[in-house]
Amino acid sequence: MVLIVNTTFDRSITDELKKQMDSRNIDAKIIETDSLRISPCIGCNFCWLKTPGECSVKDDYEIILKNLPHADQMWVISDTALGFLDHKGKNIYDRIIPIGTMYLKFVGNQMRHVPRYDKRTDVGIIYTGNPDVEYLKKWNTRAALNFEAGSLGVFSTDEIKEAVSCMC
Amino acid sequence: MHVLIINGSPRIKAHSNTDKILEKFTKGMTSKAATFKQYEISDRKQWDDIRKAFDESSEILIAIPLYVECIPGLLIEFLETLTPKKGDARISFILQGGFAEGIQLRCGEEYLKILSENLGCTYGGTLVKGDNFSIRFFEGEQRDKITSRYEEMGCEYAVNGNFHSEKCRKFTGPEILSAPVRLFVGLLQKTLAKKMFARIAEGWGCTKPLDYRPYQ
Ligand SMILES: Cc1cc2nc3c(=O)[nH]c(=O)nc-3n(C[C@H](O)[C@H](O)[C@H](O)COP(=O)(O)O)c2cc1C
Repeated sequence: MVLIVNTTFDRSITDELKKQMDSRNIDAKIIETDSLRISPCIGCNFCWLKTPGECSVKDDYEIILKNLPHADQMWVISDTALGFLDHKGKNIYDRIIPIGTMYLKFVGNQMRHVPRYDKRTDVGIIYTGNPDVEYLKKWNTRAALNFEAGSLGVFSTDEIKEAVSCMC
Repeated sequence: MHVLIINGSPRIKAHSNTDKILEKFTKGMTSKAATFKQYEISDRKQWDDIRKAFDESSEILIAIPLYVECIPGLLIEFLETLTPKKGDARISFILQGGFAEGIQLRCGEEYLKILSENLGCTYGGTLVKGDNFSIRFFEGEQRDKITSRYEEMGCEYAVNGNFHSEKCRKFTGPEILSAPVRLFVGLLQKTLAKKMFARIAEGWGCTKPLDYRPYQ
């Protein structure tokens, strides 16, 4: 299953995605966050040490946490600001940490959190605006490493066809 | 030198590791006659005041916990509301994280140069250091052992006005841990650390195993 999280207010992006995905028979679940309440991570560490795997911020992000252990891929559609994802896009990544545990191990020569679930969810970005694309590509690869996953790439909204070609 | 200091952590001040780091860092700064005013991003009531201080300051320091390889979403939300300066200010950063290796913070550090440009400020460098996860779990001497290293860096910053010196560069420590150290730390994580985390969790009222899977 491919999980798509649209954090922009622009549903024409997901309309276009749907068209392209349907023609390729991709099993997708689309979450539009414009009608949801998703707050930032507050760094309480409860998801690791008090209510393992559950976020203490009780809002609509739980839909994403419920879907992640069953998703092969997650695509975040995000506006950009200050050369990077805007806060709504970044919040989706920050709030992902309950899928890791408090336990630590070395992967290669760097330390990582032991994942909570067996499934590994690769991540990709579809962006609007004018970010530093080279940096965003590099960052998404590093971010994915934190969940023992891979980066599916970083695409502008003009490159939806290319993004869909990376979907399984 | 008078510095606007912004604690960029989303965690409330009382529990923020960045705040404990700044406590020592500013002690060093003031010993070299620098002055400062500190604000917290975690407290939205302060945002108007921080914006005003940003507009009026020429020397700015943002202290940041690494959040998934970059800066926290909450800090981005605040920064999006700023009017960029016109090259008339210098901005420097303290970047700190949980993992111990310097390499873990480099991707975040790279972004801070991009951010400085986007904020219309001259880049004063970043003081980079990991291994800070446990600060909030310690008090007194044990906590000081981790945080007091920042005092000397506060002196450096007050004297140089930036983090470009060799001393600041070296402060990061090793980029990766050596193979024997990895072996030892790896073992520690499987044994003692697990027990320590279980003890903390119990103290916090946790009733489930730490690898529990609520959404399996
Ligand atoms: C959502 C989230 C993401 C984090 N990501 C990283 C990371 O990518 N690398 C790292 O070394 N530490 C990471 N950390 C750990 C924090 O940077 C570290 O615990 C820091 O000392 C917290 O400072 P504070 O208490 O001032 O917020 C993360 C913590 C949270 C809550």
